[in-house]
Amino acid sequence: MSTAASIIAELERLSGEFAALIAPLADEQAIRAAQAQFLGKKGQVSTVMKELGRLPPAERPVVGEAVNRIKGAIEHTVAAKLADLVARARAADLARVVDVTLPGRPHGGGHLHLLTQVRLEAIDIFAELGFAVAEGPQVETDWHTFEALAIPKDHPARDMQDTFYVTDDVVLRTHTSPVQIRTMQAQRPPIRIVAPGVVYRRDDDPTHSPMFTQIEGLAVDVDLKFSDLKGVLLHFVRRFFRRDLDVRFRPSYFPFVEPGAEVDMQCSFCGGSGALPTGPCRVCKTTGWVEIGGSGMVDPDVFAHVGVDSERYTGFAFGMGLERMAMLRHGVNDIKFYYEGDLRFLQMF
Amino acid sequence: MKIVWSWLLELCDLDRMPSVDDGARALTGAGLEIEGVTDLGAGFSGVVVAEVVGKRPHPAADKLSLVDVIVEKGGAATQVVCGAPNVPAPGRRVLWARPGATLPGGLTLSVKPVKGIDSPGMLCSEPELGVGDDASGIIVLDEHDRTPLGAPAQQALGLADHVLEVNAPANRGDVLGHLGLARELCALLGGRVVVPPDALEPDAELVASDLDAAALAAVAIAPDTRAGCPRYVARVIDGVTVAPSPRKLAARLRAVGVRPINNLVDVTNYVMFELGQPLHAFDHAHVAGARIEVRMARPGERMTTLDGVDRALEPGDLLICDGARPVALGGVMGGLDSEVTAATTRVLLEAAAFDARTIRRTARRLGLHSEASHRFERGVDPALPPLAAARAATLLARLGGGRIARGAVDVHPAPRAPAQVPLRVARARAVTGVDLDAAACEDALTRLGCAVAATDGDALHVTVPTARADLAREIDLIEEILRLVGYDKVPATLPPLRAAPVSTADDRPDRARRALAAAGLAEAITFAFQARERGAALRLPAGDRRADPVALKNPMSADQAVLRTSLVPNLLAAVARNRNFGVPDVALFEVGSVFWRADRADGLCDEPVHACVALAGARPAWLGEARAWDVFDARGLAETLLGALSTGAVRVVAGAPAAPVEPYLHPGVSARIQLDGVDVGVLGEVHPETREAFGVEVPVFVAEIDLSKVGAAGAGAPVRQMRAIPRHPGAARDVSLLLDLAIPAARVRDVIDAAAQPLVEAVRVLEDYRGDNLPAGHKSMLWSIAYRAPDRTLTDAEVESAHEAIVARLCAELPAQRR
Ligand SMILES: [Zn+2]
Repeated sequence: MSTAASIIAELERLSGEFAALIAPLADEQAIRAAQAQFLGKKGQVSTVMKELGRLPPAERPVVGEAVNRIKGAIEHTVAAKLADLVARARAADLARVVDVTLPGRPHGGGHLHLLTQVRLEAIDIFAELGFAVAEGPQVETDWHTFEALAIPKDHPARDMQDTFYVTDDVVLRTHTSPVQIRTMQAQRPPIRIVAPGVVYRRDDDPTHSPMFTQIEGLAVDVDLKFSDLKGVLLHFVRRFFRRDLDVRFRPSYFPFVEPGAEVDMQCSFCGGSGALPTGPCRVCKTTGWVEIGGSGMVDPDVFAHVGVDSERYTGFAFGMGLERMAMLRHGVNDIKFYYEGDLRFLQMF
Repeated sequence: MKIVWSWLLELCDLDRMPSVDDGARALTGAGLEIEGVTDLGAGFSGVVVAEVVGKRPHPAADKLSLVDVIVEKGGAATQVVCGAPNVPAPGRRVLWARPGATLPGGLTLSVKPVKGIDSPGMLCSEPELGVGDDASGIIVLDEHDRTPLGAPAQQALGLADHVLEVNAPANRGDVLGHLGLARELCALLGGRVVVPPDALEPDAELVASDLDAAALAAVAIAPDTRAGCPRYVARVIDGVTVAPSPRKLAARLRAVGVRPINNLVDVTNYVMFELGQPLHAFDHAHVAGARIEVRMARPGERMTTLDGVDRALEPGDLLICDGARPVALGGVMGGLDSEVTAATTRVLLEAAAFDARTIRRTARRLGLHSEASHRFERGVDPALPPLAAARAATLLARLGGGRIARGAVDVHPAPRAPAQVPLRVARARAVTGVDLDAAACEDALTRLGCAVAATDGDALHVTVPTARADLAREIDLIEEILRLVGYDKVPATLPPLRAAPVSTADDRPDRARRALAAAGLAEAITFAFQARERGAALRLPAGDRRADPVALKNPMSADQAVLRTSLVPNLLAAVARNRNFGVPDVALFEVGSVFWRADRADGLCDEPVHACVALAGARPAWLGEARAWDVFDARGLAETLLGALSTGAVRVVAGAPAAPVEPYLHPGVSARIQLDGVDVGVLGEVHPETREAFGVEVPVFVAEIDLSKVGAAGAGAPVRQMRAIPRHPGAARDVSLLLDLAIPAARVRDVIDAAAQPLVEAVRVLEDYRGDNLPAGHKSMLWSIAYRAPDRTLTDAEVESAHEAIVARLCAELPAQRR
């Protein structure tokens, strides 16, 4: 026959037993299981509690109070134990040391070709001035490449560009200028385009490659002036080289522009001084200037070929070699590197 | 073209004498680029003019002399040992290389014993100074040479001078002689051109009053040839003795790059370089009937040119004929039979104007390029022939001791009037952006020899000299004005901004490049042309359009004979090259045009832009955990690329040994790539025979995609639209299947899709297992299917029902067993 005292004693014993049980436990699941073993519906404390009904009513509050006290103690022990576990786990986690000086795992890390980078940048710079990209075929008619650009078959200017022929009337374009013609055939002024693309000439040495890349520009509008051409090229040079380099024009002859100009910019290596700390600047041969391309006002004969009224409209055109731009900005010292597919070169940029 | 500075200055009367560098700078600034300035006398130094005052035999050697020379009148004589047979008598002048002198080839002279007698330096021959080929003796200056004693030998040899290398623009035939450049220099620096007086009228003392040119030479230009030869001037010089030219004339020819031959030939060259007018000298004795007829060649006609080649002529060729036969290919090359020789005494000099295109066509067709044809092709002033004929006749008579027949035969049926070009000053301002006024325009044009009349304040009427055939339009004059005013006066302005039109350019290639670079590959750019064999390594069958590449008519080498029809060969070559250079792991891509023959009216080809990846060796590794590239990398990269360009559905169709995808791919490791059901490319492992043709000994995986078939260009490209993000949880179910090895994953996927269960959100393969513990010929696959409804949380029952329906179809249709 249980008495109040014996029940309380039993509860006290269970409380002690519980403490002993969970002391070594180190994971939450086991602790919860132990808690259920004592406090659950079928747990040991509940079993003891069944004795409560047999006690005289007067004794029940004393025992009830003891039950609540011991339940509370068990719950407290569980909470403390769990909190301790979390703290230990966090401490253990923070005690980890990884040798982060080991190399990084490679991701991405691809490379656009230097010429692609330069081309995309040039397109962006000219886009700031409203130039959109235009294109044309690389295998091109003689008419678009020469005739329409005021270079007839018997013209000495043909000697300036040694041409690869596919047939008598089809060539590998020697410049991007046929894109001017195709654009003006397809579109009425105002026109403002840049045409980047590969071109071909029978030429092969450290500064000439039989295939190379040009960017051509063409603007046709009312009131365009030779000075606008200079301003556009000055803008390009300063944005591309990120320096306040100057641009100058020298008279030159290209059959499809008039007035025509060779475009020089101040040498990006020596800043135009002609000298480097290490000695004379070899890039500009100490002149302080380097040639970057040809340009001029669209010749009225060219307008006539494509049906643009040369009284109403004027236009300017320019062409530059992107290999040369990349050479001047990145120091590429032999044009052949661009086309060899050598990863040691490609991955430098 | 080379220009001798002293020669140029002889033809100018400049307001202020420029240095050679000033002159070069002025010409370059005006578009006549001086590419280099060479000091003609830089080849040697320390060689001086000395007078022989005594000579006697060397006591120890028969062939040597002891020569006493002085370098100032009354100065002490120095004894020099000399081995030449032509040591002159006392009083004549020689060139003495004193101790310390340096000679071409780097020799520095000192006092050296010669057969026991010290010789301080030496007396020089032409080859020793690099000024000629006469090795028979030392140089002895002419009796009338007035170079002072002790002066540098350069002065006596015409080498105290500079040569300017001029890059003349192709439209400036007028500057292909010293006279034309003198005109430019005078216009630029201020001054007047000095035409040699004997070009205007032969030296009267040399004219033979008893000989009449008109009686000695009859000239006719056939009526149909007047366009090809608008003017023909002939002069006759009689009693000429062929001899070497004087040293200074020879030096000038050598300086412009022409080898002196004899006075007769040299004079025609000299006058050509001086005035820009080519001349031809005939031996009058060999001009049958003493008559010249200029006409076009007849069909089937032939002639032997002076290089000894018998040439077939065409009706477009311009012939100079005598009374019997052709004697020259006009403006291009003389004939063998009528050429002047050492025995010539009477010369018929030709100075003609020939049409540029006629000459160019003949010269190009026959591959004959001469100093004469170079000038005619660029246009020679029709006013020049009489000047050149008179000048050359005078020089020839003077140097060859002959007499000039009175008068010239000048056939010029339709003289061209100087061009009249109107110019609007306002237009010049509008085109250049430079603030030009009428006075500035007039000044510039007048300096260039134009006559300018103002019709009103803005309009000028300009008469252009015949030498400047390139100035025919207002815009030509505007350029000239700007050239004279200076291109440095052009300000930098910007055109007004305009809203850019919608771009129609194809941006797919650049989007493809960005996607593949972002995926970790390096971009290569390779030549569009390649060796024919490189394409053949693809093993394409005859009939495949890629097996018949576009060929170049004039490739630089067999390595660049044809245009590529695929990007694969060049990338395989790049793989090989990298591996040879110690880079075994290669992940490259190229985006570029390929060229396919097409049946087009304009003769052009199809140039689709392809993108190609090539993978060999291992992926970029972390520590030691490298993994070799495989075909799934190629597929993944193809999918990345297509995803960047299109929103369409990608699918691959495997090849099989019986039906290979491409002959250059491994038949069992390759597939066609489809986008929304259309073939857009291929992927796979490169066929071992193809890669071995490039010397690659490890597997290479490629994917090549025709970008022209992917999505749309530029503004037509799809713009992705947002879709709702799922708000309700989904559920996934796996199914493990045992199925025949021959059933590809794509087939499983097709059956799942064919079940058309609307709740299916995504399907993934988690495992493709092949092992001994499975029934023979079977594999096990684990698939995971995700289910979701957009509007509610799915119940287990719904998911189970959909999943079981799919599994039932898989088991029945593949067939497969559930594991
Ligand atoms: Zn520099």
